[in-house]
Amino acid sequence: MSAAFADTVRSEWTKFRTIPANIPTLLSAVVLMVGAGALTANGAAESFRAGRAPFDATYISMYGGFLFAQLTVGALGVLTVTHEYATGLIRTSATVVPRRGRLLAAKVVTYGVIALAMGLVSSFGAYTLGQTVIAAGGAPAASLSEPGVLRAVVGMGLIWALVGLVGVALGMLIRATMAATTVLVAVNFIIPVIGPRLLPDAVGDWVTTYWPISAGLQITTTVQNAGRVAPWTGLGVMAGFTVVLLAAAFALFRARDT
Amino acid sequence: MIEIIGLTKRYGTRTAVDGLTFTVRPGQVTGFLGPNGAGKSTTMRAILGLDRPDAGGVTVDGREYAGLSRPMREVGALLDARAVHPRRTARNHLLCLAQTNGISAARVDEVLALVGLESVARRRAGGFSLGMGQRLGIAVALLGDPKVLLFDEPVNGLDPEGIKWIRELMRGLAAEGRTVLVSSHLMSEMAQTADHLVVIGRGRLIADIGVTEFVRQGQNILVRADQPERLAGRLTEAGATVTPGADGALIVTGLEAGDVGRAALDTGVVLTELTPQRSLEQAYMDLTRDSVEFQTSAA
Repeated sequence: MSAAFADTVRSEWTKFRTIPANIPTLLSAVVLMVGAGALTANGAAESFRAGRAPFDATYISMYGGFLFAQLTVGALGVLTVTHEYATGLIRTSATVVPRRGRLLAAKVVTYGVIALAMGLVSSFGAYTLGQTVIAAGGAPAASLSEPGVLRAVVGMGLIWALVGLVGVALGMLIRATMAATTVLVAVNFIIPVIGPRLLPDAVGDWVTTYWPISAGLQITTTVQNAGRVAPWTGLGVMAGFTVVLLAAAFALFRARDT
Repeated sequence: MIEIIGLTKRYGTRTAVDGLTFTVRPGQVTGFLGPNGAGKSTTMRAILGLDRPDAGGVTVDGREYAGLSRPMREVGALLDARAVHPRRTARNHLLCLAQTNGISAARVDEVLALVGLESVARRRAGGFSLGMGQRLGIAVALLGDPKVLLFDEPVNGLDPEGIKWIRELMRGLAAEGRTVLVSSHLMSEMAQTADHLVVIGRGRLIADIGVTEFVRQGQNILVRADQPERLAGRLTEAGATVTPGADGALIVTGLEAGDVGRAALDTGVVLTELTPQRSLEQAYMDLTRDSVEFQTSAA
């Protein structure tokens, strides 16, 4: 990392931490993920006792909370870019860092690392609390030494980072906070979660299997679901989608007047 | 030194700047004048590499701005003083920007003192008055102690004390040998601040002229005398341009009122009227009349 790039990353971190709401909002996403995860884990333990298998204790402890927490993570990613357009600060930023690629890359690195770190805190938190709840509920809890469990928990941290970067890319592509956040919610929530229930079966099945976030979340499972992609393949799909969005964001930011 | 050569910028079908060429020299304040919509801000954005020219180009001290790695040390700019996150403090706003160019926090505090914002450094910029916001914007420009400074409409909305402060600051920066380009749509303001004027209208260069020369050219004097022909001959000899006005009056340009009085004394002509006719403002308006985008019908 060149000195000039390191300076730009330092500036982006200062930008992030000096907006008073950012860090509390991020921490609320962590709490939401761990709390809601514990609730779904409890519900899952109950239905296990009622005799409904299969049971993926690792996945179930994280997924319920992630569904909501990811909206906050993505929206904060959107805001790291759109708040600069809303205030006009982007012009000043592009004046003090005239190399657009460097400016956007610093945003990507900074927010990517923030989302990854908070993602790992959340995933380990939700997993740990979830296993306690599951064991207390009389269902078989997972342990980190079992195959795939550590991969699933770390993978959830990676998914946080990717969701955050999809937010950054959408923010740069769309520039307006409301519009970018709406697209984000559609892409990461409405289409993958509600879509399959409303769409024709064939399309719904395709979405369930291959939609970026749906495929990506396979990294957080320890039991391979029939008809779903393999964990690392799924993460690759999500990562590829993120890279394509970011590439478009870089190209547009370089080409556009600021 | 800023060199603008054949700069052209279009937004869709509208040409904002049209083949503009001029040079901004160090050691003086250059006023960049033009009616609203003349292309001043577009030119400034092009200097800073924010807008890409459709033709021509700009260099700052011989280099293209967009290629500079740490530009704050070479060029400082005030474009839009309201471009701050309202919930970030003044000091943090400056710190974010300083860090991109490896400028220390100590320099941030120094600049805050320089613009007189020390006491509100840790207050949210969103609560600042127009004048405080303008000072914060100027602080951004000064952070890197640059040799070249651009100020876009810095006195807009300021109270007289703020205007005086900015005027003295700009004159001081120029006196230190820096290049200072300041845009305005107010001639009266520029007459008091600038040494040199670049006037544009509809994206084209109208005048590139020293302030003293502009002032001299801008003054018309209405003269009435008992022997107008004799006085006219003498004034023409002295280098004035004399055109006949209504009722035997003379319209004199290129001389001061005092020079006309002296000429009358020398030739023994009795002056019956000696009226400097046009203000600087009027001269500027005459110059840009054809290039004002939105004109009121009764001027």
